[in-house]
Amino acid sequence: MITFDRVGKRYPNGHDALSDLSFALGAGELAFVTGHSGAGKSTLLRLVALLERPTRGQVTVHGRNLGSVRRRGIARVRRGVGMVFQDHRLLLDRSVFDNVALPLVIAGAPREEIAKRVRAALDKVGLLDREKSAPSMLSAGEQQRVGIARAIVAKPPVLIADEPTGNLDPQLAAEIMALFGEFEQVGTTVLIASHDLPLVKRMGKRVLVLDHGKLIDDFKPHNIGP
Amino acid sequence: MNRRIEKNRVKPAAPEPRGGFSLRAWREQHLYSLFSSLGRLAARPWATALTLAVLGFALALPLLFWLLVDNARGLAGDVGEASQISAFLKPDTKADAVQALAVRLRARADVISVAVKTPEQGLDEFRERSGFADALKVLHYNPLPAVLIIDPRGDPDAFVAQLRDEATVDQVQYDAQWRQRLNAILGLGLRGAQVLAGLLALAALLVIGNTVRLDIAGRSEEIAVMQLLGADAGFVRRPFLYSGLWYGTFAGMLSLMLIAIVQAILAVPLGRLAVAYEHAFAVHGLSLLQAMIVLVASAALGWLGAFFAASRHIAQGLPR
Repeated sequence: MITFDRVGKRYPNGHDALSDLSFALGAGELAFVTGHSGAGKSTLLRLVALLERPTRGQVTVHGRNLGSVRRRGIARVRRGVGMVFQDHRLLLDRSVFDNVALPLVIAGAPREEIAKRVRAALDKVGLLDREKSAPSMLSAGEQQRVGIARAIVAKPPVLIADEPTGNLDPQLAAEIMALFGEFEQVGTTVLIASHDLPLVKRMGKRVLVLDHGKLIDDFKPHNIGP
Repeated sequence: MNRRIEKNRVKPAAPEPRGGFSLRAWREQHLYSLFSSLGRLAARPWATALTLAVLGFALALPLLFWLLVDNARGLAGDVGEASQISAFLKPDTKADAVQALAVRLRARADVISVAVKTPEQGLDEFRERSGFADALKVLHYNPLPAVLIIDPRGDPDAFVAQLRDEATVDQVQYDAQWRQRLNAILGLGLRGAQVLAGLLALAALLVIGNTVRLDIAGRSEEIAVMQLLGADAGFVRRPFLYSGLWYGTFAGMLSLMLIAIVQAILAVPLGRLAVAYEHAFAVHGLSLLQAMIVLVASAALGWLGAFFAASRHIAQGLPR
């Protein structure tokens, strides 16, 4: 589903964010990317969503070599990748419903279909009763859950999350992580960047450890999560 | 859309929106953009009014200038298209000498026709036209000379020179000369209006582009999020294109209103002028068709200005 083949990313300022990175993630697999800050976790995710292009190597998502995607095709690739951000990036002048509906509106789904799917997504994250609220009325954990609902509403085959629990207290963080665990069960390939190693280990999923842009460990902890 | 369906086939959790829906969804999106962009303009009435005023004046000025030139051309056209030559004969020329000259001139290859106006005909005409009938009664004799009105063929300069040398010819009046000068002046005015229109249309394009650019800068976070979620350039651009379209359309309407106001203000003095000239020249404004063209052109300008501004911003949000 997601393969990195000897991928390197050097930013224009000369900083090597990733070097010689290779791994493969199967369809429907959930994996964490962890490492100290600046290890290249975000860059890795940005390559999957075509927010950046690698300077060397090849990234393949769902059988598609992203290097062959032209500028005009970037939008289509991104529609196949659900994204969750640390700062949730919701549009504050729109209701929860409208925020979650955005990927479907962009995809050109008809209105009834949008309403049905948005409610299903909100139901999944437990916020069905807040659809008319403004995002600013919600707690940090609820905002992040709206962000997740937005990422999954169009049912993308790939879901990536960059520090989704970075702003949350431990209990909320555990709840959010458990939520991601559910998407794996419906066949979505999930890749989550997090520096919270204890939490990541408790989830009992595959963990990729980055250090200075290099993959230094790729393991699966044995103790199954909470 | 079809490719999306293929992509998601592995995971048949829920059906993708089917292709048959997409046209309706497309129409809904456009209608939504059309009215939401209007609402956005209405949300900032002062800024919008100011922008529209600038645009309206920029469009109205060349139109007014063009109307002025066009009307002047209409007036000049009334004087007659022909480049007629009037030869005033010496007062003591006998009637048969006049006819003889006319016959001789008619025989020339460079003359199409010669009309003879006897002093009597001239007097009658003068009486009718000038309103000096009473004053003319005082005169014991007819002071008017015989006149030959000649329609020349080709370039009449050589002919005019020969005519001046005729013994019986007192004076030659060649209308074409001042007509040429008038036409040259009007041509210059028309070209000036075109240049002015071009420059001010460019200014309108820049004003709309800049307004949309500010609009985009104010919503850059929204655009960034939409691009992250996979919105293509057309989707991101669309609301701004509609804003530009509205700016252009309203500016066009405003310029037409300005022209109507100027016309209304000038109507009374122009009417007096026409009466004083005993000559019913009608001052014309823009025809319905011309007004429609102005609206369509200004709407197109708005769309174009927004397109340039939005495209530039969108390109910055994507990796190469």
